Amino acid sequence: TQFKVLGQPTSIGKIFDELEKPFFEDFAKSTGLDVSANYNPVDTTGIKDAEGLRMVKSGLFDIVSLRFSPISRDAPIALGIDLVGQNPDYKSAKQSTELFLPEVKKVFEASFNTKLLGVWPFGPQVLFCKPEVASLTGLKGKKVRVFDQSMANFVDSLGGTPVPMAFPEVQQALQRGVIDCALTGPSSANAAGWPEVATTVIPVGFSMAFNGYGMNLDRWNTLSADQQAAMQAAFDTLDAKIWKRSEELYDEAMRCNSGGEPCSLKSYSLKVMKPGKADFDAVKKALAANSFPAWQKICDASTEGCSAAWMKTVGKAKGL
Amino acid sequence: MDIQTVAIGFAVMLALLLFSLPVAAVMTITGVVGGALLYGLPLVDSMGSVIWGVLNDNVMTAVPLFILLGEILLRSGIADRMYEALSLWLGRLPGGLLHSNIGASALFAATSGSSVAAAATISTVSLPALTNRGYPVRRSLGSLAAGGTLGILIPPSVNLLIYGSLAGESVGRLFVAGIVPGILLTSLFSLYILVEAKLFPGHEREMSQISWSDRFQSLRYLVGPLLIFMIITGSIYTGFATPTESAALGVVGALMIVIVRGRMSLDFLGQCFVNTARTSGMILLIITGAFMLNVTLSLGGVAQAATDWVASLGLSAVGLLIALIAFYIILGMFMDVLSMMVLTIPVALPIIKAAGIDPIWFGIFIILMCELGLITPPVGMNLYVVHGVRADNGPFRDVALGALPYVVLMIVFALILIVFPGLVTWLPNQMHS
Amino acid sequence: MKLISNIAAWIFGAGLVGLALFVTADVIARKFFGLSFEGADELGGYVLAVGAALAFLVALVVRAHMRIDVIYARLPVAPRAVLDWVSLFTLTCMAGLMVWLGWKMLRDSMAYHSSAPTPWATPLAWPQGVWLSALALFFLITAGSLIIATRDLVRGRWREVNARFGSSAEKDELDAELADLKRRR
Ligand code: NA
Ligand code: NA
Repeated sequence: TQFKVLGQPTSIGKIFDELEKPFFEDFAKSTGLDVSANYNPVDTTGIKDAEGLRMVKSGLFDIVSLRFSPISRDAPIALGIDLVGQNPDYKSAKQSTELFLPEVKKVFEASFNTKLLGVWPFGPQVLFCKPEVASLTGLKGKKVRVFDQSMANFVDSLGGTPVPMAFPEVQQALQRGVIDCALTGPSSANAAGWPEVATTVIPVGFSMAFNGYGMNLDRWNTLSADQQAAMQAAFDTLDAKIWKRSEELYDEAMRCNSGGEPCSLKSYSLKVMKPGKADFDAVKKALAANSFPAWQKICDASTEGCSAAWMKTVGKAKGL
Repeated sequence: MDIQTVAIGFAVMLALLLFSLPVAAVMTITGVVGGALLYGLPLVDSMGSVIWGVLNDNVMTAVPLFILLGEILLRSGIADRMYEALSLWLGRLPGGLLHSNIGASALFAATSGSSVAAAATISTVSLPALTNRGYPVRRSLGSLAAGGTLGILIPPSVNLLIYGSLAGESVGRLFVAGIVPGILLTSLFSLYILVEAKLFPGHEREMSQISWSDRFQSLRYLVGPLLIFMIITGSIYTGFATPTESAALGVVGALMIVIVRGRMSLDFLGQCFVNTARTSGMILLIITGAFMLNVTLSLGGVAQAATDWVASLGLSAVGLLIALIAFYIILGMFMDVLSMMVLTIPVALPIIKAAGIDPIWFGIFIILMCELGLITPPVGMNLYVVHGVRADNGPFRDVALGALPYVVLMIVFALILIVFPGLVTWLPNQMHS
Repeated sequence: MKLISNIAAWIFGAGLVGLALFVTADVIARKFFGLSFEGADELGGYVLAVGAALAFLVALVVRAHMRIDVIYARLPVAPRAVLDWVSLFTLTCMAGLMVWLGWKMLRDSMAYHSSAPTPWATPLAWPQGVWLSALALFFLITAGSLIIATRDLVRGRWREVNARFGSSAEKDELDAELADLKRRR
């Protein structure tokens, strides 16, 4: 049987080319079931990624690669695994998913008829600056490109000016000094040539940019128990591979951006500002003082008990 | 989906279009019916988010803003004065006022996003003078029709915006990429007029001598348009503003010029608003239909089928582009260029990317194909407009034949761009390093 | 209908000018004072969504929706009128479809309490509600026109159908341009 799949945008790069696309293109081999996939990257369809959950629910697609930041428009609870400041590194990202993903799954099933099969992070979204900025406190008075509201709040709290801007325009804007700094993953930055125009990078992850796979629940229920187990196992394997690859890619891109070896991407000579305790404290403080309260309001309005559940799990682990 | 089904679907759609059904509706019907047949009703459901996605898009907001900008410059009479000023400067060159036609078209192009109104204005202002001086009628009409096409190549350009949005390319870079080809094509047109006037004199009456003080006096009419051009292109090139922001700056700048010149009135604003709404409504409805169709095309694997088919032909990149020129010339004869763009880009783009062609370069190439479509009969918007303006009720073939040399020039120019792609890509690449 | 269309055009135009002023202020503030109002992007999106729906309406009333009339222009008046009616019918269907889909969008946005991931955190139901109203107005005008056209067609008044709903966009536009040029000079 065939599954209609809405995938990542093609522009994502290696995770798309090496893992997700082959996984679905040879869906029978990946799952060990008698299945195939009609796989469409989201950017070739004209459908916006913010519509991911609505796509699964409508049943147009059986499986959708869900980008958590955009879909949090419809399901704010999805951000609970990745509030700004919650995950400065991969270890805390793993912990966040273990603690809070069950809550997210519940809401996806109840409100969006969606079975969440797994999640993985693109990787730490870090700060690239053109003027030399030594630490996060140095952002005071700087114009910083952000791509969602919680980052904007955080930049604001550091005394910077958040500037929302489309990804393709960022490189020029950095070059011409329209903005001073910009946030993204180091491999996206590498591919878009940001290090050409920036001078420094501060490797503190503002967030992890999660992605997940959702399957239409009705479709899921047509599978037998054995088939469900096989399907889940296949996605678990894919997730594990992507988690690992994501971390490797992050390390390599950081290395390449700063002229290190070995490097299979474009090599640049950015200065890496070693984050100090003050930086990690700033990020943690932002979580308590900034991103959690902002999210709390929106999430509780949409899902009852949302923020309380977060406090009991992630909040407790972080000592909030 | 196989290539035969694609070809049949395309033929059905073309037939509906030729039977004068609204372009936007035809694309929507094809998208919805095709999608429902392939995927069932959920596909139609999902198109709601596509419509909202297209229309709630800050990049697309630049489309009505640039149209409004052109309207303001036109309705306030700035464009008329511009033509008169240029005719004082260029009127005595061999080929005379024909250069003013091209020059004024290019200058207006640099401040406005689309072309019909500009072609109408410049034709109306210039044709009486051209007739009085005894210019050969075909040459006059041809230069007006061809000059009018520059509007979509020289930034700002609504067509480039739409290309950027469909192709996911930076609109800023596309605009900057249009500058050098725009200047070169304008020069090529002028060069042709010069050569033709030398080889085959048209025996028009020379313009009387114009004093230098008159000429310099006239320059003030060029200040406004140049200022607007600097604001838009400068702010994009320097990264000072995004294309949408630059459009907003342009609109505010133009309104200020109108206020300073004492031409602001409610009547004037009403005129601008109605015309902007009219043109924007037409364009945006087509774009909405195109995006709905695009969902079906991509889920149906049409682009993939076409890409595979083209790959099976084993063409080289150059061979592919030459084939595309032929394809677009034929399509452009029968189709309006906006429809042609939105219909072909989603399918053509994967093909050219697979062939290793730069999508920014291809954006300019597509625009050039659209320019061709504007002046090839039987469906050629600029031909209609210029023909409609002439007062002597001469035959349509005058303008069609008059534009023919420019068709040839544009094809030659497209070949030049294929041989020297740097003409397009050099300037946008300077934006980085 | 002319009146509704004029009002729609004014709302549309005023919205664009307002947006242009806001964006200009934002760009200048960002460049020279290092502060951003935030939300110019978002506002631009809403202005376009609502403005587009109004502009569809204006374009309909002035018969500007693009039709390719190579063959059409060479036909006698009766088949032309039939094609005019079919064209109007397809546009009505398209408008109806957009209203239906827009309603589903709005319903979902309300059900999920969706809000824009932006500084304003606008509940999506607001802009989508206004957008849907504008689309509904567009649909009402198309449907009203279709009723008139059907009546005329049934009574065999080809010329009326043709004059009211026919495609003569270029000719109309040109006439308007020429009239306006006279006014300017
Ligand atoms: Na232009
Ligand atoms: Na043509």
